[in-house]
Amino acid sequence: MDISVVQSEDSVLLFVSAWTITEIIRYSFYTFSLLNHLPYLIKWARYTFFFALYPMGVTGELLTIYAALPFVQKTGLYSITLPNKYNFSFDYHSFLIIVMISYIPLFPQLYFHMIRQRKKVLGHAEDYSKVE
Amino acid sequence: MSRTTFFEVRVLNGKTKEHLCFLDKVEPYSTIGDIKSLFHKSYPHWYPARQALSLDPKDKSLRDEDILQNLPVGTTATMYFRDLGPQIGWTMVFLAECIGPLLTYLLFYFRVPYIYSHRYALTSSPHQVVRLACACHTCHYMKKLIETIFVHRFSHGTMPLRTIVRNCSYYWGCSAWLAYYINHPLYTPPSYGELQVNYALFIFMMCELGNFSIHLTLNNVRAEGSRCRRFPAPTKNPFTWLFFFVSCPNYTYEVGSWMSFSIMTQCLPVALYTLLGFLQMAIWAKGKHRAYSREFKDYPSVRMAIIPLVL
Repeated sequence: MDISVVQSEDSVLLFVSAWTITEIIRYSFYTFSLLNHLPYLIKWARYTFFFALYPMGVTGELLTIYAALPFVQKTGLYSITLPNKYNFSFDYHSFLIIVMISYIPLFPQLYFHMIRQRKKVLGHAEDYSKVE
Repeated sequence: MSRTTFFEVRVLNGKTKEHLCFLDKVEPYSTIGDIKSLFHKSYPHWYPARQALSLDPKDKSLRDEDILQNLPVGTTATMYFRDLGPQIGWTMVFLAECIGPLLTYLLFYFRVPYIYSHRYALTSSPHQVVRLACACHTCHYMKKLIETIFVHRFSHGTMPLRTIVRNCSYYWGCSAWLAYYINHPLYTPPSYGELQVNYALFIFMMCELGNFSIHLTLNNVRAEGSRCRRFPAPTKNPFTWLFFFVSCPNYTYEVGSWMSFSIMTQCLPVALYTLLGFLQMAIWAKGKHRAYSREFKDYPSVRMAIIPLVL
């Protein structure tokens, strides 16, 4: 079962393009690192593009989840109600809302972690260029 | 007649390296614990349990029992201090972790208003198994409280305040979650009826007794004193015969209690909680088992950590 009504939203284009660019750069980074031949451009791109791509991806994801909410509520998608033999219930609609709220503490942590990593990884290059 | 050489201890902040305290005329046979008490006098808000002292900022902290003259330092020792944050003793930790589930479950059993639909406020479920479940759950946590106050002998260790908040959220949250379903107006009693409930109840009681017996046995092992260290062994009590097969039968019995409680209530959240508990206790049991095997050369090889013959 898919939520076809949501697939044509603009927000989907937003996060898919953000993630696509991110992943292409990220996996090139890993590949070249394994080959011990990492072009500085890839390293720079990985630790710079995220400034824009990360917020783009998060916005796209949140808008998409928000767009899906009415459909989930109406159809009871992935939800289990009481009464049942195993005395368990799950409301996918509430779950999605909790997921959206969890972006508030989690996104800043990840974003600032990337900024710190950038200082550590790209910081060296500035020292080398000064030496030359 | 020889004069004892006194030591001098200089305490620096582990992060900023700033000079915090200088202790002179320190007895060479003082322990780290003594040094922490002396440091506490200069900094009253950093009580000893909160202090981590080490010989190098990157090193692990020294133990309270370590003796100053046995450390690789000259007569002037430099130590680095780290603040561990507010600490709570183990007894308080256990009390907080037990009282929560006990009380939150009762909130759901008595259907305090605003939990369920208004129509059911302050009623109780008509099913006998729900009453039994409340009794079992309550007795389980009362037993834990009694053990915490009268049976368990905790080491002087403490736990940081942040961990206690996280642990309590977990225990209190989980008991609220499973209490919600068991006491729900739409609760469905077990498929095999009274037979299922009674068998499960019997096993639950046996496991609770077993768990209690093991705690008493472990208590007596500790009592023997620190001079002769022995590992726990089966006694005349049949419940302790599980020691023939596992290093941590207390965890085995605990998993057994919760498994029988899940079968008795036929409630999936309880089964999931049991699974989480089992995973955590298996990790603890494996650690204990490894510690025992390393410390005692004659440790029985038949013993597994938590499940006989398997894990």
